[in-house]
Amino acid sequence: MQEQLNAIVAEVQKSAPTIQARAEFEAYKATISGPKGALTDVMKGMGKVPKQDKPAMGKLINEAKTAVQAAFDQVVERIEAAELAAKLGPAIDPTLPAPDAARGTLHPIAQVREEMVALFRRIGFSVAEATELETEHYCFDALNIPSDHPARDMQDSYYLPESLKVNNVSKHADEKYLLRTHTSTVQIRTMLQSQPPIRIVAPGRCFRRDTPDATHSANFHQIEGLYVDKNVTLLDLKATLDHFVKTIFGPKAKTRLRPSFFPFTEPSFEMDFFSPDLGKLSNKWLEIMGCGMVDPEVFKAVGIDPEAYTGYAFGMGIERIAMILQGVDDIRYYYQNDVRFLKQFA
Amino acid sequence: MKISYNWLKNYIDLDPAEHSPEVLAEVLPLLGFDIEEYEKLGPPQLNNVVVGQVLEYIQHPDADRLRCCKVSTGNEGEVHDIVCGAKNFKQGDKVMVALPGAVLPGDFKIKASKLRGQPSAGMMCSAKELQIGQDHDGIMILSADTELGMPLNDLYTDGDTVFDLEITPNRVDVLSHIGVARELAAKFGLSVQYPEVKASIENGSNGTALISGVEVSAPEFCPHYTAICIKGVTIGPSPKWLKDAIEATGQRSINNVVDVTNYVLHETCQPLHAFDAGKIQGGKLVVRMAEAGEEITTLDEVERSLTADMAVIADAERPLVVAGVMGSLAAEVDQDTVDVVLEAAYFSPTSVRATSRKLGLSSDSSYRFERGIDPKGVTYAALRAVDLILEVAGGRVDGNQIEVGAEPPTLSEVQLSPDRVRQFIGFEVSDEDIQNVLESLGLVIAVHNADDGSVRWEVSIPSYRQDLQRDVDLIEEFIRVYGTDKIPESEVVARGISTQDHRIYTVNEAVADYLTGQNFDEAFLYSLRDPEETKFFFGEESFKVLALDNPLQSDQSHLRPSLIPGLLDVLKLNAARATGATRFFERGHVYREVKGQMVELVSVGFVIVADQLSREWRQREVADFYTARTLAGEILEIAGTAASKLTFKPIEQSQLWQPGHSAEAGDFAKMGFQATAGLLNMAILKDRWDIKTPIIAGSILMTPKFFERKAKRGRHLGISNQPASAKDLALIVDESVLAGDVEKDVAKFARKATQGFDCESVRIFDQYQGQGLPEGKKSLAVSMSFRAADRTLKDKEVNRAFEAIQKLISEKTEYQIRK
Repeated sequence: MQEQLNAIVAEVQKSAPTIQARAEFEAYKATISGPKGALTDVMKGMGKVPKQDKPAMGKLINEAKTAVQAAFDQVVERIEAAELAAKLGPAIDPTLPAPDAARGTLHPIAQVREEMVALFRRIGFSVAEATELETEHYCFDALNIPSDHPARDMQDSYYLPESLKVNNVSKHADEKYLLRTHTSTVQIRTMLQSQPPIRIVAPGRCFRRDTPDATHSANFHQIEGLYVDKNVTLLDLKATLDHFVKTIFGPKAKTRLRPSFFPFTEPSFEMDFFSPDLGKLSNKWLEIMGCGMVDPEVFKAVGIDPEAYTGYAFGMGIERIAMILQGVDDIRYYYQNDVRFLKQFA
Repeated sequence: MKISYNWLKNYIDLDPAEHSPEVLAEVLPLLGFDIEEYEKLGPPQLNNVVVGQVLEYIQHPDADRLRCCKVSTGNEGEVHDIVCGAKNFKQGDKVMVALPGAVLPGDFKIKASKLRGQPSAGMMCSAKELQIGQDHDGIMILSADTELGMPLNDLYTDGDTVFDLEITPNRVDVLSHIGVARELAAKFGLSVQYPEVKASIENGSNGTALISGVEVSAPEFCPHYTAICIKGVTIGPSPKWLKDAIEATGQRSINNVVDVTNYVLHETCQPLHAFDAGKIQGGKLVVRMAEAGEEITTLDEVERSLTADMAVIADAERPLVVAGVMGSLAAEVDQDTVDVVLEAAYFSPTSVRATSRKLGLSSDSSYRFERGIDPKGVTYAALRAVDLILEVAGGRVDGNQIEVGAEPPTLSEVQLSPDRVRQFIGFEVSDEDIQNVLESLGLVIAVHNADDGSVRWEVSIPSYRQDLQRDVDLIEEFIRVYGTDKIPESEVVARGISTQDHRIYTVNEAVADYLTGQNFDEAFLYSLRDPEETKFFFGEESFKVLALDNPLQSDQSHLRPSLIPGLLDVLKLNAARATGATRFFERGHVYREVKGQMVELVSVGFVIVADQLSREWRQREVADFYTARTLAGEILEIAGTAASKLTFKPIEQSQLWQPGHSAEAGDFAKMGFQATAGLLNMAILKDRWDIKTPIIAGSILMTPKFFERKAKRGRHLGISNQPASAKDLALIVDESVLAGDVEKDVAKFARKATQGFDCESVRIFDQYQGQGLPEGKKSLAVSMSFRAADRTLKDKEVNRAFEAIQKLISEKTEYQIRK
């Protein structure tokens, strides 16, 4: 019996290393430890072994089983390793080009807009929205731009036919619709809907009837700011806009408020800035926005008491600021959307 | 508006150092008068350019157009040979000579040389060549008493600087030299010396020998009209000071009388008009409304047809002047004029503006009238002009100043308190500082001290500052002249809590995050599109409703109904430039027609080139309808609509979308949102954009109102820890049946058939058509998953439910269960 066991172990130890596949292994395993296997046969013979020899015999059988199992384990390990290797395939080349597309980019104007909005959000402003389609009242009259003001000339604004009805943009009376020429319309719509304190920025698309060239585009974008509360002062206006300029253009930027005129603010200013770090545009005063204290006539138009409240407002062209920041010298690049251009700002 | 530095010196003592042109160039913008450009007039510093005298000349032997001249420059015995092309000089004339070594403007070096074989050592110069004036018709001829040999820069010492100022529409008073002088005086602490008027003329309504009177039948248009007659003037060229002044403002000198009217306009801001009395027919001026269709040839030699809402100054026969805008050739002062009628009037700003707009004709006069000139400045300007006409053209005043109507009323007092100023500006300034600034502008302050210690000011406003009507206007004046650079720098103070951002903005932010994460690049496109395109894709009604009233370009006449056509332009451009880009999106507003009305919508659009554009070592699957549907659904989900609520229906007919390969869900008009997804119409894309690759796209439309919906907060419903039990089913259905409908039916039956446990999900996981199935049929494989909240399901109960479901399918639908 011992010889039989030794022979089985020897046979297994000889054959096992040559087994390559799982099926082959299962078949071979059956010939040893299956119901009719050689080892099983020997174990079946235990019944005939005299009682006093049983412990020794049992020990021998166990030793043989352990030896066979060890040989089988090695086979399984080897086969699994081979199967995994087959599954994994050859090693990757980490330098091959990616077959997947890269993340997309926000449009450069949207990037600048978001940067500006984020800045104003940090100091308590929230974003307001309104329609691009507007009426003369909200675009002009309520902003104290009377009907004979040059800004209302037909050649400056895109008008819609008098007969047009618009389902979701309200009229004040029987005035005409037009495409808003500035985001200041959002000031009016917001003040009509809510009570002070009001602290909003309104980024949005505007339209002017200009012949397109390097600095003019049929549509462009502005960002409007409005803060109305008790005791809002000129000092607050300057502090906010200085903060804006130094954040966007760097701490070395200087600002100045140049007196100007807008019908909807009094006093009115153009803000200029001056920076040593702007390439070709360095070291000269550049105009970047109009601003001022909300004119009492505007407050009257929206039913806010100008004796109780004061406010400041500002408005600037997003393309203009983007062009300065990004070194773009022709506004039309922004509307062509050549992906090589778009990716330069990613 | 052009302002001459030399001219300003007539009214204020500008210190050459402290108030140099360079200083003014910095100060004026900070006073609110931006400088478009400023230029130095007069000769530059030139060496070796001196006064010479033509001693004699002969015709050049070999050139018809040239003369050989002998020129002296004063040095005894020294004669310069100069060949000259001009013919406007004669022997003995004094001229400007550039001698060898001189470098004229434009880096033109003068050397001794030969011209056609004749020696020429120098050049006789025109005014333009020396930048003294515009004259280039021949060389400059100097007056005979000019000292020989005098250098150019000693002769012409009066270089000028001209500022082209941008004056905001509220400041008509600064459209004049006196106006600018007043501003500078306030800033520099100087005083303004107004020209003293010498003429003394009685006012009256009687006519004179020249005209019997003035009749105003349009008093609303012309509330105040005056006329002064001057007899016996001598028309001629203006003296140098007048000519220089006129030319500095960018105008052409015409004759002494016309130049005076223009001079006074630029001095005082009051437009004036001079008529040749001899040309006034019927001996009377009439200010009346024009007759519709009445014709007049204005001074710019354009024949214009007038309308009944315009006013004219006419004689008995014809209109002579478009009131407030421009004169005509009919009664102009010319070299034969002997008697002059000088008009000074106040015309209604809105009427002049309307006339000027209608005629498309703007003049120095209309520009000022329409902004509202000083209502009390008419007579001063008229008398000032009379003084100057008598000075430069002679003659004498005849009769009274004929006056019709009266000066319009002006506002004279505004209340202000210094506390209000400080509260408004937010920093400390003394009463005295405020008072000084306002008084420097010519305002007069009466101080009232109340018993409670508060101070109230009554501020008197000069008639030329009708823009100052409210306390804030005075605060602006204070800060403007006090200096915005004196506003202290301070910290940003963010009081209170900010409100919520508008959802349109936050949703757009999230959509952009999502789409850029899905490899899309964002495009910005124009909102205006081509009319034919609008009609082709969106029909006749949209074409009518989306049209602008006044487009600038014929291919940008309609508001865009969709972002997709613009995005196709982008794909086309990128394809033409072989950039390899395949995915773009845009966020923007679009416009649609609903029942004849326009609706403005918030939209997101995206396009994908569903083709392998570049060779890759490993290809990814290209996008298809389901890619677009998922993207569209996710975008709507971001905006607040549960994707489960979207039921896509196939598009059967469309010019933009490929029928059978695109679908639509929602309805913006009824539900506030709409999504379209799938393949774009291949034949039409090829036709219109020359795009031959399949383009997968999505378009989402949302009404602004849609964003007012409140986001729903989720609530915990509990989840089962028990194992799930699954069943599959194959159904044979007509090929036109939508999988979504089958899924819904099965889910409905499953709900009915399960009691005490749930059918958690019903999902189509396979679709088959072809061999083994009848023509026109397809097989859909449905998987169902069952689960109880509290126990492991027994096979028996699941089988019972499964059978009940199959029974319901057989009874209630046409679907065949595939065994």
